[in-house]
Amino acid sequence: MQKKVASRAAKPVNASARKGSAAGKQWTYGKRGYALAQSLRQFTQRKFSSLVTLAVLGITLALPALFLFSAQAVQQLASQNIDDESLTLYLRLEIADLDGAALAQTLLGKPGIQKTRFISRDEALATFQAKTDIGNALEALGDNPLPAAIVVYPVKQQADATAIKRLSKQLLALPQVQRVQYDLRWVQRLQAAVRLIQSVGWILAGFLTLTALLVIGNTIRLELLRRQPELDVAKLLGAGTSFLHRPLLYTGALYGFLGGLVGSSLAMYAFSKIKTPADQLSHLYSSTFQLQMPSASQFLTFLVVATVLGWLGAFITLYSPSRKLISPRRTGM
Amino acid sequence: MIQFENVSLEYDPGRFAVRDVSFRIPSGAFTFLTGHSGAGKSSLLQLIARLVKPTAGSIKVGGIDFSNLKARHEPALRQQMGLVFQDNQLLYDRNVFDNIALPLVIGGYKYDDIKKRVSAALDRVGLAHKALDGPLSLSGGEQQRVGIARAVVARPKLLLADEPTGNLDADISADIMKLLMQFNSSGVTVLVATHDSGLLNNFDFPKLTIKQGRLVDVHPGTRQGSAARSRQAYTE
Repeated sequence: MQKKVASRAAKPVNASARKGSAAGKQWTYGKRGYALAQSLRQFTQRKFSSLVTLAVLGITLALPALFLFSAQAVQQLASQNIDDESLTLYLRLEIADLDGAALAQTLLGKPGIQKTRFISRDEALATFQAKTDIGNALEALGDNPLPAAIVVYPVKQQADATAIKRLSKQLLALPQVQRVQYDLRWVQRLQAAVRLIQSVGWILAGFLTLTALLVIGNTIRLELLRRQPELDVAKLLGAGTSFLHRPLLYTGALYGFLGGLVGSSLAMYAFSKIKTPADQLSHLYSSTFQLQMPSASQFLTFLVVATVLGWLGAFITLYSPSRKLISPRRTGM
Repeated sequence: MIQFENVSLEYDPGRFAVRDVSFRIPSGAFTFLTGHSGAGKSSLLQLIARLVKPTAGSIKVGGIDFSNLKARHEPALRQQMGLVFQDNQLLYDRNVFDNIALPLVIGGYKYDDIKKRVSAALDRVGLAHKALDGPLSLSGGEQQRVGIARAVVARPKLLLADEPTGNLDADISADIMKLLMQFNSSGVTVLVATHDSGLLNNFDFPKLTIKQGRLVDVHPGTRQGSAARSRQAYTE
């Protein structure tokens, strides 16, 4: 039976392939070199099935790669500084224009404020009349009912939602200020949407990573069954668990590494495709946000994570409780 | 070298593969283990190679008491033995050289040492010119010689052969026997399990006969030295 299995799985070695030296390459005769050679042989002997597995892994890992690569950019978007973000302080009616202008000057010296603009009651009325159809109705009232206002522009680096809220509280506490108005709703909506996308993305990435783990685990399981004759013989010749398992762990790590390479390449391609529309969208919102291509360190980090993932998938398969069902059992005698 | 004391191997309750067997095989002996198919010869070899554990009794091989042997030390024990199988158990995805080199790779030998030892083993079995061939391109006898070369390449002290001539004709069987005897003459203890009557008649080595798992006869033989020739040496 074993002979039949081995015969099906293997091809006779072509003697002419290694003319000159009976021994193969030196590195393949060390314990680790042997394991690596066996793992690589698996890829070369079953090219099609290896390619299909790598394609599945690559596509599965592409989304986690995309999220890892864009994590920094999305984080930047989530805490985006919005250009020209401002707060409007409506002053009490009794505050004279001169006092209002002086307050605007005073505020300019406060931390977190980049510039201020004072709008007198008359300027407010003129603007109102120019921009609305009910401007004449205000004349009928006799007195100008509009308060003077100060438009405060926060420092750009501190113009996130939290900082603006904090600043508005401080400004509202001023005795001259009747009301503070700012519109962060769209910013908050954007940030909430980004956070939602981040959460959904990470959950999806988690599921897909788990899928990759299962794909590698299943591949190793099949590999274990396919290499049963070799493992049986090696065990009979005195191979320990580490010798028997090492090629399979290497196979898992190789699948992880190569799958990571395919996945990150797909993610980079996707990045290059969405970069232009993302930057255009950002421009429409007057944002400084720009989608950056992943750095070398991000790329390497992903490859390391994918390799560890592959190794882990193999490790779990080899050391799970079900391993007894697939570990070498034949005694050969 | 090998010592069995009241050893039993019971697969299921009441179903014994080996039952209450006691014997000793002296170091350097060439011994046949004989009996009909299913008599328990292979089970006995498996017990010696620690591929299965006895359900009763004690086994000592090379001074190592198996009852104290931890599982993690079993591979090292097996590396000190050479195993030859009826179906030779060669790996068909690699050439003859790499098949023979496998025990040395497992044992962590250095590359130069591997090259020397494999070449020497190939010379001894007369297959130096076949080093690059795949096992499937070899005849049955050649495959078995490769199996023997692989078993002896790490220079074990004990060689266990399970029906090594089972699929071979008489002439080739004699060649295989000569090879095994050569290794024996260099000090290797050889235990051959066989029910090949031609082989048993032609080579009058000490024989342990097994029947239904029990040791029923110890024949001292005429071809061994004085230590092995004594029936006492096998039973005390």
